[in-house]
Amino acid sequence: MSISSAETAGKAIVPIGGQAKKKQGWNRFKQYYLGPIIAFLLFMTLWEIVPTMFGLKHFIFPKPSDVYKAAIDDWSILSAAIQITVVESLIGFAVSAVVGILLSVLLASSKIMERSIYPYAIILQTIPVVAVAPIVVIWFGAGYKSIVVISFLIGFFPVISNTLMGLNSVDKNMDELFTLYNASKWKKMLKLRIPAAMPYIMAGLKISCTLSIVGAIVGEYVAGIGGGKGGLGYAITVAAIQVKTPFLFACGIAAAILGIGFYLIVGTFAKWALGSWHESAMKVER
Amino acid sequence: MAGTAEKRLVAFDHVSKMFSTGTLALSDIHFTIQEGEFVSFLGPSGCGKSTALRMVAGLAEPTTGLVTVNGKTPKQLVRESNDIAFVFQDANLLPWRTVLDNVVLPMELRGGSRKEHKETALHALEMVGLKDHMKAHPRQLSGGMKMRVSIARALAAKPKLLLMDEPFAALDEITRQSLQMELLDIWQKEKMTVLFVTHNVYEAVFLSSKIVVMSARPGRVSSINDVDLPYPRELGMRTTPKFSEYVDLASGHLEHGADRRGLG
Ligand SMILES: Nc1ncnc2c1ncn2[C@@H]1O[C@H](COP(=O)(O)OP(=O)(O)O)[C@@H](O)[C@H]1O
Ligand SMILES: [Mg+2]
Repeated sequence: MSISSAETAGKAIVPIGGQAKKKQGWNRFKQYYLGPIIAFLLFMTLWEIVPTMFGLKHFIFPKPSDVYKAAIDDWSILSAAIQITVVESLIGFAVSAVVGILLSVLLASSKIMERSIYPYAIILQTIPVVAVAPIVVIWFGAGYKSIVVISFLIGFFPVISNTLMGLNSVDKNMDELFTLYNASKWKKMLKLRIPAAMPYIMAGLKISCTLSIVGAIVGEYVAGIGGGKGGLGYAITVAAIQVKTPFLFACGIAAAILGIGFYLIVGTFAKWALGSWHESAMKVER
Repeated sequence: MAGTAEKRLVAFDHVSKMFSTGTLALSDIHFTIQEGEFVSFLGPSGCGKSTALRMVAGLAEPTTGLVTVNGKTPKQLVRESNDIAFVFQDANLLPWRTVLDNVVLPMELRGGSRKEHKETALHALEMVGLKDHMKAHPRQLSGGMKMRVSIARALAAKPKLLLMDEPFAALDEITRQSLQMELLDIWQKEKMTVLFVTHNVYEAVFLSSKIVVMSARPGRVSSINDVDLPYPRELGMRTTPKFSEYVDLASGHLEHGADRRGLG
């Protein structure tokens, strides 16, 4: 048993011939993609038909074609808004990631620190950020800075809670193994705890990246534009006031697409970073 | 035995261990182990085998009494050298490291030249027959192969004392047999001392030059038996009358210990 597995382990998958490969691709497409595509088309058709049937005005319930037209007509406003929101949430996310991971490592390196500080991090987290957002605006002024801070406040907690959980998830035997080889606390952190926490860190980053977009849009609601042009949140506020409902829909859909895109990018990065070892990042092996 | 001059390596000096939960895991353990021996700790689950072994590695402290290795406390020895190596029941490999990098780890943590470490590690992997898999990751290996890597990691640092806590308990019988043979082979070649925890009487008799039989509640030594079967040992020995005698002897002490526990 151990010999046969010794021979098969680690070998590359046998390549499949062109014809078979094409067939497999089609099967895969049928299994995973065909259903969602049909559902999407049906949904769009229904959405197009229903408002017409009930005679709903486009500013009450716009059809997909209205939304599409609004997006094209005001594309310059929409694309500028998207760009601004992307930059804000990227900065918010980056700060969440860096501060979250560094602070976790710091807290995890001392049990006393963790026990005394982490409970407050949890309490802080339970305060709804929307409720404190006006204070952020008072402190950091209307505009960019406040928006990034709010995005950070929303995106930061998943990083710290996941990273801390990961750093503390180290198997007791592993820890003792390092003790037996006289590893310093710092070496344990670097060569054992941080690598062991990687899957947790990546999970935290995946949650945080979509939240940072939510944070940026919420931030724009309360902190406005402050000098420059506004992002998606600001565009939504303006569209609502002017009852440009189709454009409002377009902004909302753009925000959703942004979130999905961001999630996919971070997810791909996570897969790459976990690379060779973690199960959730592994291809199915049977 | 391997023909080394008799020298005391490990000493349990009236060692007791009471956990904070109130469990008396070990009660007045007192014996010594000579250099070059292959000693098994045999006993039912919960009799304190792991606790005793962990004390030799400095991973647990006696409540009373003293454990010394080579005249020093285990903690001191661990600080100074890689003389003590430990193999756990689950192979305990770092999943993000390749086989080679797992074996390099103990040396890497001590510092020094990466190139030398790599050579030593490759040599250790050769001993356990896994040189070809140096680039694989643990998840690509079978249970037996993982245990081999774990043994190679322990051996790479050239320990004087190899501690093993039920290393083969989770393996299938065939894999276990081949690993037992390999372990004996390596033990004789490398001239180290092995402390081997098991609850399997046959395994203890087959491997050991000396068996420490323990009993539970509280954990104590019920007998120490020398096994005078010649090395190298062969699988065929398992069916000889002499082998059965030793099995009976050790089993007897196990039961005797259990009886006393029943009465107490
Ligand atoms: N860290 C611990 N805290 C409290 N009790 C423990 C601890 N470790 C072991 N014990 C207890 O000590 C006894 C001996 O345990 P152990 O040495 O693991 O036995 P064995 O390895 O022979 O199965 C058991 O009753 C166990 O429950
Ligand atoms: Mg045990």
